[in-house]
Amino acid sequence: MHPESNLETLMVLYQQGDFTAAAALIDRISPQLHRFFAAQQGSRAHADDLLQDTWLRIHKVRHTYRAGEPALPWFYAIARHVRVDHYRKSMRATAGERELETMSRTMSRSVPANHQAPGSADDLEALLAPLSDSQREVIAMLKVAGMSLDEVARATSSSVGAVKQKAHRAYEKLRKSMSALRLRKGADRLP
Amino acid sequence: MKDEEIDDVLNKAARAPLQVKPELLERISASIQASLRPVRPLPPAWILTAGLILIGAVISVAGAARVGFAGFEKMDLVKRLLVFPVLIGLASFMANRFVREMIPGSRRRVSAGTLLWLGCAVLLALFTLLFHDYQVTHFVSIGVACLITGFLNAMPAGLLCWLLLRRGFAVNPVSAGLIAGALGGLAGLGVLELQCPNFEVAHLLVWHTGVVPLSSGAGALVGWLVRLFTRAVRGRSAK
Repeated sequence: MHPESNLETLMVLYQQGDFTAAAALIDRISPQLHRFFAAQQGSRAHADDLLQDTWLRIHKVRHTYRAGEPALPWFYAIARHVRVDHYRKSMRATAGERELETMSRTMSRSVPANHQAPGSADDLEALLAPLSDSQREVIAMLKVAGMSLDEVARATSSSVGAVKQKAHRAYEKLRKSMSALRLRKGADRLP
Repeated sequence: MKDEEIDDVLNKAARAPLQVKPELLERISASIQASLRPVRPLPPAWILTAGLILIGAVISVAGAARVGFAGFEKMDLVKRLLVFPVLIGLASFMANRFVREMIPGSRRRVSAGTLLWLGCAVLLALFTLLFHDYQVTHFVSIGVACLITGFLNAMPAGLLCWLLLRRGFAVNPVSAGLIAGALGGLAGLGVLELQCPNFEVAHLLVWHTGVVPLSSGAGALVGWLVRLFTRAVRGRSAK
């Protein structure tokens, strides 16, 4: 019965101590949270760590979910908090190394020249690489989790207007990078 | 390239199968199962908001009761009917926002900082419109005493507000601290309005209203320290 229930019902059952509901939530939410982290951090191992930490935090503060409220923004607000926490910690710990790492990651994550043409790409992480952290976050929530603007605003503790603006700017950047990729691909085909 | 085309590319990429290692999911399930117990959800938001307003009101009245209600007695009926309802209204907004700050995924229409400055602007406008004594006597000496009194009352109010919502979870402790401080500051301002008979406009605008940003700043600082502390504790326990 549980796998069919919606997230809000499962959350209430989880608060009541129902393990089947907790397991159903883990199965349903984890893949998209993992994709969300991978789109931000670019490393699968790091995404695994963040996912595990997020579930520990979710479990600890599960009483803060209020029945009747959308569950997805609640999950993502906590996931985002965990990600920012990790990011700040690593920034402080390896301030110097970080700069080099970020540079190399940005270079490796930029859409590669031999990447599949837009439209057939299945690598979300590479597609989102040209975006800033906050833009990537918004696009990942809108596209991967299929959240509404209002839900993204709730998850990011901001207003719907701010989310719209970020999404608009992200699309502007994506348009530029995808157009450049098309041009490059067209030039490669020339004899 | 059109927005629809970008949408299409992103949707295709997002539809790619989402996979997490089954052993990772099993590990997460096992760790949750080990400590799974029923939990009592937080009370409804309106109860928490009402509790916060009540704390502010009690602190204001109790704080002023120690030295008397000279300010309240000196005010005419119009001023009483405008100043205190506006204070309660602002406290309601702040209390509601503080509850939202402590519940992840809550709706927020404006940032905590914007809310604080809007609140201060309302107070400044209110005092400017209602009071017309433009003299300035012992501006600093009397003013600092009022600021300290307000702040000393704001601190316990902010602390009690935090205690009421201690089971919540602030995804942004700095923002939550700022709002808790503002709420405490409004309680401190309530004490001053009840007890201080000095109605000079400059005094009200600078020293009375100043309690709110001062205690908000203190609250934000506490939030920042809490964040540093919890991160250090988590880092140590991870090792």
